[in-house]
Amino acid sequence: MDIKWKNIKRSNTTKGLAFFLAWLSFLVVCGSWGFLIKNEQIVTCDNYYSYPKYISNFSSHVASVVDYYIWLKDVRSEEDIIENEIDWYVITEKSVALYNATQTISNILNFGYYIKDTQTGEVITNVEDEDPIEFLRKQRTYVYINNRNVYNQYLYRANYIMERMKGTNYEVYAAVIEPLKPGDEFYDDYIRYTRVKSLMIFVIISLIVCFILLIGCLAYLFSGTWKGIWQEQKEESRPVPFIDKVYLDIHTIGSIILILICGFAFANTLETYYDNEPRSILFLAVTLSVAFITWLSYSLSLIRRRKRGNLSNSILFIIILRIFLRKIKDFIKQCFNGKIFRVWILILLPFYVAINCMLFVIFVDAYVNYYYSSAAKISGFLLVFINVLVFAFIARALRSLATIMEGTKQISQGNIDYEMNSDKMSPVFAAFAENICNIRGGLKNAVEEAIKGERMKTELITNVSHDLKTPLTSIINYVDLLKREEVGSDKAKEYIGILEEKSARLKVLIEDLVEASKASSGNLAVNLEKVDLHELILQAHGEYQEKMEKAGLDIRISAEEKNIFVLADGKHMWRIIENLMSNVLKYSLRGTRVYINISKNQSDGVLVVKNISAIPLNIPAERLTERFVRGDESRTTEGSGLGLSIAQSLTALQRGKFDIQIDGDLFKVTVEMPLWRDSK
Amino acid sequence: MDKCNILVCDDDKAIVDALEIYLKQEGYGVVKAYTGKQALKALEEEKVHLVILDVMMPELDGLSATIKIREELNIPIIILSAKSEDTDKIIGLNFGADDYVTKPFNPLELIARVKSQLRRYTQLGGTERKSGVLKNGGLELDIEAKELKVDGELVKLTATEYGIVLFLMKNAGKVFSIDQIYENVWKEPAYLSENTVAVHIRRIREKIEINPKEPKYLKVVWGIGYKMEKY
Repeated sequence: MDIKWKNIKRSNTTKGLAFFLAWLSFLVVCGSWGFLIKNEQIVTCDNYYSYPKYISNFSSHVASVVDYYIWLKDVRSEEDIIENEIDWYVITEKSVALYNATQTISNILNFGYYIKDTQTGEVITNVEDEDPIEFLRKQRTYVYINNRNVYNQYLYRANYIMERMKGTNYEVYAAVIEPLKPGDEFYDDYIRYTRVKSLMIFVIISLIVCFILLIGCLAYLFSGTWKGIWQEQKEESRPVPFIDKVYLDIHTIGSIILILICGFAFANTLETYYDNEPRSILFLAVTLSVAFITWLSYSLSLIRRRKRGNLSNSILFIIILRIFLRKIKDFIKQCFNGKIFRVWILILLPFYVAINCMLFVIFVDAYVNYYYSSAAKISGFLLVFINVLVFAFIARALRSLATIMEGTKQISQGNIDYEMNSDKMSPVFAAFAENICNIRGGLKNAVEEAIKGERMKTELITNVSHDLKTPLTSIINYVDLLKREEVGSDKAKEYIGILEEKSARLKVLIEDLVEASKASSGNLAVNLEKVDLHELILQAHGEYQEKMEKAGLDIRISAEEKNIFVLADGKHMWRIIENLMSNVLKYSLRGTRVYINISKNQSDGVLVVKNISAIPLNIPAERLTERFVRGDESRTTEGSGLGLSIAQSLTALQRGKFDIQIDGDLFKVTVEMPLWRDSK
Repeated sequence: MDKCNILVCDDDKAIVDALEIYLKQEGYGVVKAYTGKQALKALEEEKVHLVILDVMMPELDGLSATIKIREELNIPIIILSAKSEDTDKIIGLNFGADDYVTKPFNPLELIARVKSQLRRYTQLGGTERKSGVLKNGGLELDIEAKELKVDGELVKLTATEYGIVLFLMKNAGKVFSIDQIYENVWKEPAYLSENTVAVHIRRIREKIEINPKEPKYLKVVWGIGYKMEKY
């Protein structure tokens, strides 16, 4: 049971229901309250005859009868008044009174009166009873008026009536005759009064009930939000509602504005609200709803924020203020720790301004009051002198800055031998300039070290290769000699064959190693000249034709143009092509075709070599140009694994582009060399 | 003619011994030395027709020895070195060497070079100039007989090869593109992307050069053309 209640409490449906109930009860409370306010007069009086509206109505009836039959008994039209009176004020007063009285008397229904002139005995009445006075006296609202007194508690405007009655001999009896007949205001008001009275008790009850309900719902919602009972199952994963991400102050102001707008609309509608027009009621309900929901969601959001952490973190104003304050703090700090201004500048600056102001004031004062006095001359001279001095000082400092900027620009462009002219350096920037010089020096050292290191590496490889070559020479020679000797067994011959082959391979490896090292370190002379790619390809074809035929390969050369001149070193170009060709020879599938294509694009001459690999190339294209990498991981074939690496390095050395593409078994190498330009 | 004596000088005894075996097989006499100084001393003591010198040697290096030898003798000098840079070769040849062989060398190639140098030194040195013969270093082209001799040895050429050699020897030192050679030898304009010329030239090189990959006479100027080096 307990758990069940908890589950209900925690379900989102309950939350929605609570929200809805809160909204509904709020509307009911407002509506009930409005009803009570509107019918306040009815609610507060004991019976119909103490209802102020009734009293005022009754009073105006009495006054009209008095006016019509006593005060204005001689006049019956506006013309009569104008004839008898001169004063415009009186004329207006009498005309209005006559008009009102006429209107009232012509519509009398539930009102009885009896007027008697005590001197003449003349009687005017609308009561058709044998004893009109007695009849009227029996009524609950009976009133008796003579020229001295008014006998009734339920009568307004008694003074007005007495004024009219003064000096006459009339007696007036009047009353509302019960039971009321339908057709006039007394009846309508009475109906309304009884209806309101009967509704009142329900309204009050619903007001109280709904108020309690509203408080309950709000309490549930607020406490639930604070405890987060709807989020308990997966609190972390639940995203923060969008409304909570809005800065708190913006949310607050927005909510207040919305509520104010609703309030104004509400008040405006209420003012022009007469009848129970459904449209107006709907509009009132809508404005109230919007305001209430805005307030409720704001309050809940506020609770959620408070629960989640410090409220001030989500107030935009405070955040901006904090950032602003931090910036100001940093700025001031930097001002005084010499990062922006040196301290002495900070001290000197106000001093300079003060002197300037002082001199200026003295100068102007002296000049205006005593023309050409010595005070004016001296202060004027000092003013100019000090400013020129400061200007010169700043100009010098700025020139130093320009020198330093030029220096750093040169260094950044790689001109590390650039010397800054430090003779005319302003003392302000001297230390700065020195630091820049130190950086340049460090950079220079680093670059030199790097170059030296690279050179040493190449030298080392070259030297090692020399030392390797001498013993290798002997090996090759003696293997050759051994071959010529009479060797007994066939196995020995086979072994010698292997020795010969491997020593030859070692020779190639050493040579390639030196070359690769030189090419990649750029330690190789490059003589760029006008080279014809087409000629080069024909030459290469000439060199390799027979070998290719022996390997069962068919070379197909195609050229877009006969002469494609590129800017390159012929020897290096040959080495590149040689490496590509020997690559083709070593790794192509027998009986396939090898395509060599030359063309040119806007900036480069392009050489493309395509062949079909004999073994599957399970290796990314980029790795093939790394040193000692070969298509076959087992390394059983001949070759050093340096060929493509050397070709790539040599291409780069001649400012060309080298690219390898592998598409299945198709192996494609593209070499692009910059075109020869005649203007060069 | 007497047996030729060859001075072999290298600080690596194994190399000297190997060379001795090769040279003796060819019928030459061999004088061995292991330093530059020993080489100079041996030259004073014996009659030597050719010197094979290593560059990097103790006491006196090969280049200095070459200079010393050239002060007195005109015999061919072949430098044997592990240094394979172009600059090293150029320096060696400028110092007065006649040939430059890099280690590790092919023994047969070295022997061929030795033979070539000796032929030029012993046989061709004094022969007088004949008319109708084009001469360039060790190359002799007899225009009338349509014969080419390399260091005195006859080389068999086809008619086209002869035409190419003749054209290039006439214009020794100049570079010609494939098209130019084709037009001048075949006497017809070159339209197609033909590599006939390139193939022919490679064959000629194989016939006249000791090491076709490092030609002495018929050189490839990559991406530009071919030329006959002028000596």
